[in-house]
Amino acid sequence: MFSNYEESVLEQEFKSFEFKGNGKEYFRIWIVNIALSILTLGIYSAWAKVRSNRYMYANTYLNGSNFEYNAEPIRILIGRIVVVGFYALFVVFSQYLFMFEVAAGIAILAFIAMPWLVRQAISFKLRNTSYRNVPFRYTGKTRDFYTFFLWHGLLNIFTLFLAFPFSYIRFKELVLHHAHYGHGTFSFKGKVQNIYEIYFSILGWTMLFIISLLLVIALLGGIYGASLGGAEEIIMLSGGLEEEGVEIGSSSMMTGLISFVVLVIYLPLMFGQKGLSDAYFSNYVRDHTCLEKAPLQGSMNPFRLAWISISNALAIVFSLGLLYPWSQIRYLKYKLEHTSFACMDYNQFESSGYEQGTTIGEEMIDFFDINIGF
Amino acid sequence: MLIDAVLYDGYSSKEHHVTIEFTPQREVIIASHGIELMLDEVRIESRLGNTPRVLSFPNGIRCKSKENEKIDQLLRDFGLTKSKAYKIESSWGLTVGSVLITVGFIWFLLTTGANFTANTLASVLPESTLSEVSDITMDQLEEHYLNPTKLSDRQEKIIQDHFDKLTQGELGYKLHFRSSPEMGPNAFALPSGDIVLTDQLVALSRDNEFRDILGVLAHEKGHVVEKHSLRMAIKTGIAGVIVGYVAGDVSVIATTIPTILINSSYSREFEREADAHAVKELEKMGISTKYMARLFEVLAKKAGDSEDNSSIMGMVASHPLTSERIEYFNSYAK
Repeated sequence: MFSNYEESVLEQEFKSFEFKGNGKEYFRIWIVNIALSILTLGIYSAWAKVRSNRYMYANTYLNGSNFEYNAEPIRILIGRIVVVGFYALFVVFSQYLFMFEVAAGIAILAFIAMPWLVRQAISFKLRNTSYRNVPFRYTGKTRDFYTFFLWHGLLNIFTLFLAFPFSYIRFKELVLHHAHYGHGTFSFKGKVQNIYEIYFSILGWTMLFIISLLLVIALLGGIYGASLGGAEEIIMLSGGLEEEGVEIGSSSMMTGLISFVVLVIYLPLMFGQKGLSDAYFSNYVRDHTCLEKAPLQGSMNPFRLAWISISNALAIVFSLGLLYPWSQIRYLKYKLEHTSFACMDYNQFESSGYEQGTTIGEEMIDFFDINIGF
Repeated sequence: MLIDAVLYDGYSSKEHHVTIEFTPQREVIIASHGIELMLDEVRIESRLGNTPRVLSFPNGIRCKSKENEKIDQLLRDFGLTKSKAYKIESSWGLTVGSVLITVGFIWFLLTTGANFTANTLASVLPESTLSEVSDITMDQLEEHYLNPTKLSDRQEKIIQDHFDKLTQGELGYKLHFRSSPEMGPNAFALPSGDIVLTDQLVALSRDNEFRDILGVLAHEKGHVVEKHSLRMAIKTGIAGVIVGYVAGDVSVIATTIPTILINSSYSREFEREADAHAVKELEKMGISTKYMARLFEVLAKKAGDSEDNSSIMGMVASHPLTSERIEYFNSYAK
């Protein structure tokens, strides 16, 4: 027990983030956002986004002070219009006018702009976040993003994505080494080997989950199936044609079976894995990131976060979406309250001022639900 | 009025605890920092739940105050409006109103909106597209499920005669006789007007004249007339988009279950429409609906204990409960 003294000093230094948002309050903001977006034919959605982001940021506290989200709604609206406009053009040309050359041109243009847009999105998020009236900044070069996506794109194509952990580390470096809080700069030191280990853990737990699930189902199925007997014979008259293929004799059994499979297998698997890997990766990135000399730390329990993720999904499904705001708050709260930061002096950071900039990258990432992750 | 706040000078992350004084002359004074401004030079951000209120001063200075109530009072005193969004969020009535608007809008999209889109699409889509889709489907069915019919010529002729009478003067309808042990007793319609009838269903007929089968064919024709397949596809699409939008990132999965629920209730709605169509056609042809009711009884008996699908399964069943349908057809039987 030699290190006891030092450990206790270290523990004192680490302060965990606090999240004070609550589901009831956020529900009102969320539903009013949706209603106003409907009434304004989508225009309000930019203001809605700012409002809910402001709510989340302002409720995030570190060492007694909260964060701020400073994006201008009007810029987000412009970004949205550009992205939706391009997407609409693409759909119109490819699916209605059958002018595939033009559609392909739009797709290629978007593809070429991708690295730039990803950089824009990262930069936009950071620049519009501030803490104690000192904004974050991003100074990564567009050129570096093109180099990164070109080389790592090729590398992963030729190695069938086996080199992905290597690219993951390089990408985190690209993002974090050029991220700043005021004049302070972030750094990230990760090992490729650890990322492989994380993937193996996730794979292992997923397999274990599937196997145990199959065992339980086989057991239950044995009991249930015996009692049902020739249930398959329940066939009813007729059936309509669906989008793809034909739904033949769509019996109630079939619907029941699909619901069962989705609820008991697909949903826990998808969301369990999502929570699990989120915790593993978040912990890892936090544990290897510093702001100047001040380290971050992640202490999420992967199984706990997997459970939160699964139960959130179930809550959303059974409340027909009404518990969505609650689930969002719950997830974020767990993640933030298991993140900590050890800083000697919170007063030391100097500001470089606020900037604005374009939002197209951010809106594209939003629209296509791309997860960059910080 | 005095308000406690934390001041950030915009140069560093240092916090200064200050008291902001608002005078009746609309002056804003922070004595400790030598700040003296007019109220309209200060931007007071809209309230957001109970998060600290942000007051932006010129030169990048920002203050944050937890005294939301006092600031709201101050804004009222000076005749400045509160944020409209916060006003809506903080009122129970308007929040409930928002829920109603959202639910109502979704409901509208799924009913009137979907029907309108389906009808517009159906009239815009060229005939050839519909028949192309149907042809592909038919080919796949022929390959996997359908075998040549084993019905006698006499049986085929009676049913074909019924069908011709049913679709008299209307183009595009075609009846296919097929045997399908896999699908069992069944009949279905494609959007092009192709209607497939299995031998297995004919075998369940309890009427020498096959008037019950005629009822089934009329029901299938109803599906074609009401453009159910197209409406179904559009509604499924709309439902997916809505659930995806409302639920955000959970789109992948959250879509699935509500879609199934919505779909199956559509099917029920569509089956009822088709049943109603069948009743109408049968009445026009002067044939009692009792034959069809009897066919359902036979089907129900074959399906086993029909009490089994009464309670919970009824909620998700694609088709109206068989007993319900038997009653329905019996009620029209003369």
